[in-house]
Amino acid sequence: MLITLQNLFKVYRMGDDTVNALDGVSLTIAAGEFVAIMGASGSGKSTLLNILGCLDTPTTGSYLLDGIEVSRMSRAQQARVRNRKLGFVFQNFNLLARTTALENVELPSLYGAGLPSRRRRARASELLERVGLGNRAGHSPAQLSGGQQQRVAIARALMNGPPVLLADEPTGNLDTRSSAEIMRLFTDLNREGITIVMVTHEEDIATYAARRIVMRDGRIAPTHERQETVS
Amino acid sequence: MTPWLTLRIALRAIARNKTRSLLTALGIIVGIAAVIAVVSIGQGAQTMMMEQISSIGTNLIMVFPGSRNQGGVHGGTGSVQTLTAEDGEAIAHDLPHLIRAVSPIVRSGGQAIYQENNWSTQIQGVSVEFPDVRNWEVASGAFFSAADQRAGARVCVIGQTVVDNLFPGIDPVGKSLRIRNMPFRVLGVMARKGSNTMGHDQDDAILAPFTTVRRVLYSSVFNNVSMLLVSLHSLDDLPVAKEELSKLLRQRHKLAPHADDDFNLLDMTEISNTIGSVTKLMTILLTTVASISLLVGGIGIMNIMLVSVTERTREIGLRMAVGATPGTILLQFITEAMALSTVGGIIGVAAGIAGARAVGRLQQWPILISEASVIAAFLFSAAIGVFFGFYPALRASRLNPIDCLRYE
Repeated sequence: MLITLQNLFKVYRMGDDTVNALDGVSLTIAAGEFVAIMGASGSGKSTLLNILGCLDTPTTGSYLLDGIEVSRMSRAQQARVRNRKLGFVFQNFNLLARTTALENVELPSLYGAGLPSRRRRARASELLERVGLGNRAGHSPAQLSGGQQQRVAIARALMNGPPVLLADEPTGNLDTRSSAEIMRLFTDLNREGITIVMVTHEEDIATYAARRIVMRDGRIAPTHERQETVS
Repeated sequence: MTPWLTLRIALRAIARNKTRSLLTALGIIVGIAAVIAVVSIGQGAQTMMMEQISSIGTNLIMVFPGSRNQGGVHGGTGSVQTLTAEDGEAIAHDLPHLIRAVSPIVRSGGQAIYQENNWSTQIQGVSVEFPDVRNWEVASGAFFSAADQRAGARVCVIGQTVVDNLFPGIDPVGKSLRIRNMPFRVLGVMARKGSNTMGHDQDDAILAPFTTVRRVLYSSVFNNVSMLLVSLHSLDDLPVAKEELSKLLRQRHKLAPHADDDFNLLDMTEISNTIGSVTKLMTILLTTVASISLLVGGIGIMNIMLVSVTERTREIGLRMAVGATPGTILLQFITEAMALSTVGGIIGVAAGIAGARAVGRLQQWPILISEASVIAAFLFSAAIGVFFGFYPALRASRLNPIDCLRYE
């Protein structure tokens, strides 16, 4: 199993009350899966994705990523895990302004093991080529459409060759056509072996995923699981 | 992440907001420029003074008339004229083994006129020994004679600056210039000597027999002088010579054993020490003022770095998400603050050198730019960046990536 969550709790204290954002979540995701996490706002799906992304730690419970317990790591250790094993795609793209597409793609490699700058550049332009933006390497985000920006962001997520891609509403700010393009790209990447976990609230976007997890009140709802696609 | 890469990212962040970066660095620029300018001018002045002291000759003792204690009331130095030309003669006569030559000096000032030219200058009454005492040669013509001195003849020897202003293109030897409507025959011209320790042009002087100056220009019947200039055979004799001089003058002035001296002895080492300590004090004072400006500049950097951290919250969140550790973020913002202040420091050093040169040219003042002060300014500005950049950088490194990514 690539990802194993066991009995995760995330408890927030709000004044005298405590809120269980995650209320005992157990979940396994195998390498090569394409999972969509769905649920109403406040259901805990964002908290779950943050913990999966090593951006947040659970109050109790265990998270094994690629066989390593990552839920009790220091911030610096978590950063290294994010750098090597996880690629992020955000709803609002989060590209650095006034920075070229190529440099945006390169970004994760700056924090990783010291790749020489020529190799970094070569890999980044290869990835831009891969997402269909080979001729836009020198453009800044302001000169790109929303769909193009998201494709740059995907190239960036792939820069360090992570086994897992985490996407938080990747099509939330895109029109239907761009959304379809992004999802086709995801499908292709998944077919090449990358595990994708995607949070979305859009029914038609979730259909691209082979497996669907629905969150309700901090727990995984028992229905709608389509286990038959796991192989 | 390599230091070089960190620096490049920092420099790019600075370049992205040029106007703001420049305004932020301005405090550092002004502070460093002030320090460099002050130190350059101060050191230049000090070096010049020291050089001139050694050019005048360190084997000189100046004897000034001192205050006389009258019923417990001290007058200031020179308030009572107690020193006479005879004191000088006695020194030369009684201490020949120590003293090479003595010249009394009677100072006066006035306007010298030759035909349509006039020039305000210093008129110094000296003795025939003066060229010997000062080690100053006559360039053309001759110095006045002992007979001129005895007679109080209206003759003079003039410095090069006076020649340039009163006798442009004319040989002054044999001509007559007028001081307060009295004609003085020019016997000779002194060799060029340059500026003295106080920045005063020594060539801007008319030398006449002290007898003449005292009688004709002061209309004085007393025999006192402004000072005695005593030159020694050797600098090694200085302590002995001062002691002997003091003994002799006390004896001549009939001072009681416990009475204060009514004269002051000053030697060149003392003067150079005084000048040294005065310039040092000035340098310390001005450097303190400049340091305050650097402190203000540093606070400015801290302020703008805090703004920058807030503005770039999302960028920080993203960098953390793709693998920047808190340490990397800390280092990046410290590097940015340091680069900002160091660039300010470099501009400041350049501005300081330019400013010092401008002042030097305007005031005819030499400047000395020491490598040490430039390197110190450079390192200090970098240190300011690190010091004042630390807190904003720490704030940035402690940000939570989730909150940052959601920050609007």
